[in-house]
Amino acid sequence: MITKDAVVAANRFGFGATPDEITAIANDPHAWVRQQIAPEKKLPAPLAALPSTMDDQMAFFLWIRDYRKELQSRSDDSMKGSVEKSYVKALAPRYQTAVKARFDAAVSTPTPVFERLVHFWSNHFVVSGAKPVAIALPPSFERDAIRPHVTGKFSDMLLAVAKHPAMLIYLDNVRSIGPNSAVAKHPPNERPNFAGISPPRGLNENLAREILELHTVGVNGGYTQADVTSFAKVITGWQVIGPRQLVRFAARWAGIGNDLFYFNERAHEPGPQTVMGKTYAADGVEQGEMVLHDLGRKPSTATFVATKLARHFVADDPPQAVVERLAAVFRDTDGDLGAVTRALVDSPEAWAAPHAKLKQPEEYLISAVRTMRGPALSDRQLAASLNEMGQRVYMSPGPDGWSDQEDFWLSPDGVWKRIEWAQLAGRALSGSVPRPDAYADSVFGETLSAATKTAIGRAESPAQGLALLLTSPEFLRR
Amino acid sequence: MRTVNRRTWLKRVGAGLAIATSPLPRLAFASPAIDKRFIVVIQRGGMDGLAAVPAPGDPNYERARAGIALPPPGSDGGILKLDTTFGLHPILTEFATLWTEGSLMPIQAACVAYHGRSHFEAQNVLENGSAIPYYLKTGWLNRALAALPSQSGDVGIAIAQTMPVIMRGDSTVTSWYPSTLPQPSSDTIDRIASMYEADPKLEAALRRAREAHDMATDTAGGAQFAGLMTAAGNFLNKPHGPRIAMIESTGWDTHANQSANYGPLDRNLRELNRGVAALKTALGPVWNHTAVLVMTEFGRTVAMNGTQGTDHGTGGAAFLFGGAVKGGRVLADWPGLRPNDLLEGRDLRPTTDLRAVMKGVLAEHIGVPEQHLERVVFPDSADVKSARDLVRTA
Repeated sequence: MITKDAVVAANRFGFGATPDEITAIANDPHAWVRQQIAPEKKLPAPLAALPSTMDDQMAFFLWIRDYRKELQSRSDDSMKGSVEKSYVKALAPRYQTAVKARFDAAVSTPTPVFERLVHFWSNHFVVSGAKPVAIALPPSFERDAIRPHVTGKFSDMLLAVAKHPAMLIYLDNVRSIGPNSAVAKHPPNERPNFAGISPPRGLNENLAREILELHTVGVNGGYTQADVTSFAKVITGWQVIGPRQLVRFAARWAGIGNDLFYFNERAHEPGPQTVMGKTYAADGVEQGEMVLHDLGRKPSTATFVATKLARHFVADDPPQAVVERLAAVFRDTDGDLGAVTRALVDSPEAWAAPHAKLKQPEEYLISAVRTMRGPALSDRQLAASLNEMGQRVYMSPGPDGWSDQEDFWLSPDGVWKRIEWAQLAGRALSGSVPRPDAYADSVFGETLSAATKTAIGRAESPAQGLALLLTSPEFLRR
Repeated sequence: MRTVNRRTWLKRVGAGLAIATSPLPRLAFASPAIDKRFIVVIQRGGMDGLAAVPAPGDPNYERARAGIALPPPGSDGGILKLDTTFGLHPILTEFATLWTEGSLMPIQAACVAYHGRSHFEAQNVLENGSAIPYYLKTGWLNRALAALPSQSGDVGIAIAQTMPVIMRGDSTVTSWYPSTLPQPSSDTIDRIASMYEADPKLEAALRRAREAHDMATDTAGGAQFAGLMTAAGNFLNKPHGPRIAMIESTGWDTHANQSANYGPLDRNLRELNRGVAALKTALGPVWNHTAVLVMTEFGRTVAMNGTQGTDHGTGGAAFLFGGAVKGGRVLADWPGLRPNDLLEGRDLRPTTDLRAVMKGVLAEHIGVPEQHLERVVFPDSADVKSARDLVRTA
């Protein structure tokens, strides 16, 4: 019999499991989860096949350069209004391929718990392609800055995030100039670039504010507007080797790999800065590294991170005891995320109530395909399915990422779209799963409710039985 | 044959149980107590209010908007003149028609109570109805519904995929959004409903979705804004349909090239203009009972930035329109466009708290009691007086 703990392990901590997989998990569900909380040895094949960070960074700029060239070469009005079409045509395939690679990795991985942690942290430190200039950046960001650190030190991940070209571009830090920097005092006489954007002239607080508000101490973490401004000055000059340099010196940069971070001393605000009560000496790039290091260890950061983890793995409004337990481990281990995650897995509250968390659309689709071994979705079919359900992966509406709460996702339309999708999937799967009732038993075991069991058992066809299984409360929740 | 019988049986039993066991009040589409219609449109991204509702009559308009000032009224492609100070963007011809009919009230120099220039904080405040981001988890429109007579508890619909903050809360509301997937069979839905009997949230969501879809047979307008407005109009013109709708429109964050033909602002304004016409057509005679409030999270900088666009600002424009609106005037305490008039030297100074308009419409049009507005819908807003004389009393 598949136990409650096996179902929680496979679904809440993982991304669903086939009958064979969950039978194996049932031997020792806690150990199965725990052993996946370890550094990854090899990148999953679908992700390894994606373009490099440099290639992603170039994509938008090459498109806009080509578009402008074409626009200038035509004397008539034939291209007016086609900018959006051109953008979609040039960049949509890259986006869809990356979304599908992330999906395939989650569906096929032998370590789905690790993969879920990647998704969790990628949503915590989100880079969203909803901002056109960032359209191509989230996949390489997730791979370079998030994946290597999900079971490591929080401050290492924070530093990798804050120095990654994707984040520096997405939250505008590449354009932030210290008011007393050399660049501000002697502005280069540059024309607007090929994207029509003029050279920047001053401070941009966007990244500094979001690091404080969304990544570390949280909005009530005890910082002021003055702290935001000082921190923004600290990270002025944190830039990226730009597309024009990359184009111009393509040969020379060829060996540079993914590390496109570039500290521009001339744009950096000189002098010491005080952030949250501590003064940081003028040490160039180290000034910012020190601030990030300290932010990553603040007690308020521990509580903020613990709350989000507990919300994802226990309940929308997690029990205070769990939050405090995880926060204590975070503080005691200097932000060791492996230790914090193990404390989470060792918390009885995380195992108490199966099917307590509503799946978000992407995890719903991953778990459906993973559990049912299908249906096979093309890049476009996956993108369309996610679009219908209101979660365009890598395109969260803002830098606060996707909501992890039921009141956002459980809308009448949200439930309806899953039913529509499940009906199609049921038809597609009916050849490979002729007995949905038996299948439901074998993947949900003792957590399968009488109502679901009865409904699937009485279905008029395998296709309908599968649609019922895929829309059952047990399948919509984890 | 046995299958058919079982299906019929399930259908009957399922339907009976759904009502008998539901812990929530029964959806009351059957007998709405109000005949007024109210639609809220949220424009996400920050619409440039001085582009939508320019002020060519202000002596500083041309100078303050250098590079993005619109041609003066009367000239080719010029501003559509409203009064001695204000006009409309030349694209907004449908709005101009409403003005002539006395059904349009543009609102200028308005803003939420939060002035922090963050999209998501400002949108949260616009929707939660307080002055502080994330201070309340529910939305003001949902809390307003709670004040309506009990038999009309479920009159709200969000034309959206996920539930926007403004519609979240204890009052039950439905949601609907166009789909490209085939409709599930009625039999399958019956069976799913019976499976959800022990899960009140899923049960309620499915029941509402189903009712919306039963009504939505003629709403295939697509997911463009005008299509969504048609859908809203079709829902609201049903005798037993919802009375209050909420629609989102995105893409208003025009940091670059906003004055270009077919640029982002141009495109959005065209879609807005089309949406107004589409809504009016879809509503039919119900238009005369309708008020529509179009709002955005903030206005944008008065001056053009270095990339032919505008950056996040403060005071902005909103629109109140509809057959029930006592229009033909601009609601504005105009702060002016001289450098010293501007907030922090850059933004249009906000002189109207948008809650004053929200409160006024809810009180005059929907009949939400003043006390409920002050205590529940907009807590801590006693100093924000309701705008008056917004709708026709007849």
